Amino acid sequence: MKALIVIALLGVVTMMSEVFRFKKLLLPLVVVGLLAACGLAIGDWNTAIRYYSDMVYFDNYSLAFTSLIIVLTLLWLIISKGYFVSDSSRAEHATLILFTLCGGVIMTAYSDLSMFFVGLEILSISLYVLASSNKHDLKSNEAGMKYFLMGSFATGFLLFGMALIYGAAASFNLVKIAEYVQTTAAHGQTPMFVYTGVLLMMVGLMFKVSAAPFHFWAPDVYEGAPTLITAFMATVVKTAAFAAFYRLFSTCFGDISGFWAQTLAVISAVTMLTGNILAVSQTSLKRMLAYSSIAHAGYMLMAIVAMNKISGGAIFLYATAYSLGSLGAFACLHAISKYGDESIENLKGFAADNKIWAGLLGVIVLSLAGIPPVAGFFAKYYIFYGVFQSNFTWLVLVAILSSLIGVYYYFRIIITMVQPRSEKATVLPALTGAHKALLLISALLALGIGIYPAFLQGLLS
Amino acid sequence: MNPSLPFFVLATLSVFSALMVVLSRKPVHSVLYLIFCFFTIGGHYLLLNAQFLFAVHIIVYAGAIMVLFLFTLMFINMNKELEPHKSNLLKGAATIAAGCLLLVLVAATKGAETLPAISKTSDIGTVSNLGKALYGQYLLPFELISILLLTAMVGAVMLGKKDVE
Repeated sequence: MKALIVIALLGVVTMMSEVFRFKKLLLPLVVVGLLAACGLAIGDWNTAIRYYSDMVYFDNYSLAFTSLIIVLTLLWLIISKGYFVSDSSRAEHATLILFTLCGGVIMTAYSDLSMFFVGLEILSISLYVLASSNKHDLKSNEAGMKYFLMGSFATGFLLFGMALIYGAAASFNLVKIAEYVQTTAAHGQTPMFVYTGVLLMMVGLMFKVSAAPFHFWAPDVYEGAPTLITAFMATVVKTAAFAAFYRLFSTCFGDISGFWAQTLAVISAVTMLTGNILAVSQTSLKRMLAYSSIAHAGYMLMAIVAMNKISGGAIFLYATAYSLGSLGAFACLHAISKYGDESIENLKGFAADNKIWAGLLGVIVLSLAGIPPVAGFFAKYYIFYGVFQSNFTWLVLVAILSSLIGVYYYFRIIITMVQPRSEKATVLPALTGAHKALLLISALLALGIGIYPAFLQGLLS
Repeated sequence: MNPSLPFFVLATLSVFSALMVVLSRKPVHSVLYLIFCFFTIGGHYLLLNAQFLFAVHIIVYAGAIMVLFLFTLMFINMNKELEPHKSNLLKGAATIAAGCLLLVLVAATKGAETLPAISKTSDIGTVSNLGKALYGQYLLPFELISILLLTAMVGAVMLGKKDVE
């Protein structure tokens, strides 16, 4: 709760920086504030308090995810310095980023559907604006508009679902809904419209996490939005959306999982196959990462399908590993895309120029592909193990198969990077200190988590 | 008189006007039907004893937002040639998908009649009771809505202002 208040106030204060002329202090202020918020969140560990007539519930699950998204934002700030130092609307950018984070924190900690909706809307509306924040680029405008229209449509489904659930349970409170679902399910009297409500909420949430067949917006929006915002969307926002998804289904609808688990299992299989197969044929690195993030959404959905006692830890570990890997990959993409297009060919000759950094990028790509001993492998292992225990063997087989497809295009990045530079290339991708720092941190963290994955996984088990 | 008669009249009217919003050829007619639709939905709020919600609904939707719609319509050039054309395959797929959704939603109302009414007090929708709920149980979401509005405002200003420097 303290972390939430600090982030919200920080957003308001950064907004004032334009009026009261302390724009130079903007970046240090945001960093200090976020560090404080992260510290406060970690300080509340093991307290599990319900605030304001059970509107938010900061248990270990939400505290872990809150700290994770704050840390990811801090890491993201390393490469996005330019976005806050030279840009003419930097104060607004900082404010919107902080409000997005605020919405994300609410989404990890809500204990009432009304709070969930408020959090989701704060997060989404800031993102619609941020996606189109490159005002003079038509593609960015299109991305923002597309995201806005599709997102509002999906929110409509989510609200309809909430209304049906409220009609049945007569409460927005997650605990009360869970009690209602449990008692009616025990007598076999679950009304039909609870099922419809669950399905409609699932549609809305699956749009937000870009699961197939609701993924069509993702590649276009990820490609059109400024690269830094894409990195933010693919990591912080996706983590928050999954935290909300898992929290809702594990708290409320576990007793009727016989109804939705099969559906979700099929959707998760379709999502990872779609993401991985379509990523293979991409020539733009940004689009490839967008499709890869769709595929990773499929793996994280598997943890919701499994819904047993290791799933909470597994989805946390997966979100961490995936976000760290994506941040590193986007840092590289940001460095090479400064000189025009985002084609994967720009990576040619990268290894010859920057041996160490190419190695670190290799580690990150291995983590995304799920090759041991890096974090991604153990994240996938725990997810697969949980699904296997819940008797979805076929889903594990599909997941392994689609991971193999994934290895193909991830290795294409490594192979392109060690090829000699093409003669046409006139500009060399150059890494700035910030990009190097982020690459180093995310690669080291990926290795560290790979060496001792049980720590993160055990936090929530 | 059957006590649920007003409901059925209002429901028929709102479904009819909502259909006409989609079906009418002229955009201005669509907007007028939409206003009518909002009024009938406001009538439903009155039937549910939510007088304040009724007033707010009429003022905000039928008043402010519809005027905005009409203004926007005047700015847009509505030509036959500019209308987007979808292939028959897409139209067919959309019809089937929407029909399936309708089927599921209608099926979901099966068994809804057996549920008891939750509250029968007549003053549930008054301003004072709404205020008690907003400043009591729902204090936190009510306060956080201000962040939401602030976000929308900051975003609109950022997208709308000219770049200087």
